[in-house]
Amino acid sequence: MQSASATAFRWWVAFGALFIFMRPAAAVPSFARQTGMACEACHTVFPELTHFGRLFKANGYILDNVKQVQDVSAKKEQLLELAGIPPLSIMLEISYTQLKHPLPDLANVDVPGEAQNGTVGFPQQFSLFYAGKIAPHVGAFIQATYDNAGGTFSIDNTDLRFADMLVLPDDHSLIYGVSLNNNPTVQDLWNSTPAFGFPYTTSNALVSPLAATQIDGSLAQDVAGLTAYVFWNESLYAEVGGYRSAKQGAANSLTGAAGPLDGTTSNVISGVSPYWRLAYEHNWGSHSIEAGLYGLDVKLLPGGSPSAPYPLVGPYNRFKDIAEDIQYQYIADEHLVTVTGTRIHESMNLAGSFASGAVANPSNNLTTTRMWVTYYYRRRIGATAGFFQTTGSSDPTLYPAAASGAAGVITSANGLPTTRGWIAEADYLPWLNTKLSLQYTGYTRFNGGSSNYDGVGRSASANNTLFLLLWFAY
Amino acid sequence: MCYVLRVCIVVLLGLWFADSRADEPDPAAHAYARRLAVGVCGPCHGPHGSSVQPKFPHLAAQNANYLIAQLKNFRGQTRGDPDAISYMWGMAGPLTDETIDALAAYYSSQKAVSSRVADATELARGREIYANGVPSDGVPACAACHGPDGHGLGDFPRLAGQHSQYVLKQLSSFKSNMRNVAVMHGVAQTLRVTQMRAVAAYVESLE
Repeated sequence: MQSASATAFRWWVAFGALFIFMRPAAAVPSFARQTGMACEACHTVFPELTHFGRLFKANGYILDNVKQVQDVSAKKEQLLELAGIPPLSIMLEISYTQLKHPLPDLANVDVPGEAQNGTVGFPQQFSLFYAGKIAPHVGAFIQATYDNAGGTFSIDNTDLRFADMLVLPDDHSLIYGVSLNNNPTVQDLWNSTPAFGFPYTTSNALVSPLAATQIDGSLAQDVAGLTAYVFWNESLYAEVGGYRSAKQGAANSLTGAAGPLDGTTSNVISGVSPYWRLAYEHNWGSHSIEAGLYGLDVKLLPGGSPSAPYPLVGPYNRFKDIAEDIQYQYIADEHLVTVTGTRIHESMNLAGSFASGAVANPSNNLTTTRMWVTYYYRRRIGATAGFFQTTGSSDPTLYPAAASGAAGVITSANGLPTTRGWIAEADYLPWLNTKLSLQYTGYTRFNGGSSNYDGVGRSASANNTLFLLLWFAY
Repeated sequence: MCYVLRVCIVVLLGLWFADSRADEPDPAAHAYARRLAVGVCGPCHGPHGSSVQPKFPHLAAQNANYLIAQLKNFRGQTRGDPDAISYMWGMAGPLTDETIDALAAYYSSQKAVSSRVADATELARGREIYANGVPSDGVPACAACHGPDGHGLGDFPRLAGQHSQYVLKQLSSFKSNMRNVAVMHGVAQTLRVTQMRAVAAYVESLE
């Protein structure tokens, strides 16, 4: 039982880390169809939002300039308001990925070999969206994605909103609303928070490091959160809410139904995990700057798997994430510059996993830092340079070494979570809904080391990734 | 001189129809317009029509008739400068005449924005063009239509305090005919970019 739980925990850590580098992001032409405005109203270049785009999102995606099908009661109460054109979109990503050094081929452990280097993703990702107004004051961003790694369609980032606005006596606005979403920070208005941060898309054929904080995509699409927010005078933003597990593909072992969750499921949120956000934005001339804080406090019951269940009782793991973020934008017709950064601190109290032997320490910590600078010329040609780093306490059980004779790669020889590197990306947009990207990710540290980081002789730079992407949305 | 004559005729016609300003909207229409102005137009033009970003024009204290005409041009997709197409064609699409009148009344009643100081030499050059035109190139005085103080006359828009970047972009659009206004095309087609910059800086400095 203990080893099964420990294994589940490690896989969950690795799986969570994958989301840092596989962050599906989107900007959808259905919004343009609905509003009648071009992409540039809401985006510098998709998916980065402008000030107007942030307001559009805060207002619930409901700004609507198309003809409506309506119904009213005898008392002139509004019963229905449907857009003449449904706000639907598609998104397609086609990619090519090349690692600096191929991965070992595990097809036959007795015959050492290398996996084929050079992965074509056709598609890497294909998404369908409903993105726009549902009813007066209610809007949605719903994404369903086909992922070639799993070969399945599944729910992706989703954000349902109710929003309204008060005009204060001094003619300042007070937007207030509620978001029901499935990924902490997917509802956020700035691109400095994880869900819609850079890199907006990366290869799903890359090697992901072991460590990631909870708020950094580890819970994406496996939770449901209800948050309430206010946005005063388009400048001061505050939000609070809570998240609870909403596992996809999990079934109750007794009934086979979609719930309640039991010990065949790993990492189930105990109670409700509070989420909070505070940000201030100031605009002057063609400039905009935002600084903020956000955080999440998650209690996870380790649980188990269908083959090795572990009861959802006993001590839990607690993750307290507190993050700072900043975003500066200069937006003009010819030149557009964005400087963005975030730092996430996570303190872990791992009583649950420590009891089962899944970690070596009862408490650990992680800090993830990301910064990037983007420049675009006339929204046609652009480049982004970014830095990323994750550091934290050593835990040789949580970040384990390769077993004897095993292939390594996603292991850590020294039990450290340290990963550090940079990303350079060049983009060309022949049209505003079509992006060609060439992205290179270079690692100076990976899972704790630079050379022989995995204990099997692989260097961090072997995981350097060249990624060519054709991304369009219609 | 041909342009000067045409401009004078248009000025007289504008003044003639100046009193045809839209009726004051009813309270409900005004409240709706205020809500639209703050919540929908506000992110770009500011809650009182005083915009932060120079890409978007100030609307505060703008002439109501001019606002009405422009909103109808956006709605009818007859104003063709790039930002009109990208932003305003969609935004103005569903506006009714009543809402347009109410929005115009709201913005025209707002307090004008304060002026910005620019380089003294450029201001002097801009003042000269604004007040007297460039007779050698057939450019009439801007003041003839927009008033000596830049507050506009009749249907002609207020320019005082307007973002110079916006004014410059409009002059370029008039020149290229992307924004198809015959009178302003005639004015702008012989203006050099340096002259446009100077006059744009000058009108921004006006209160």
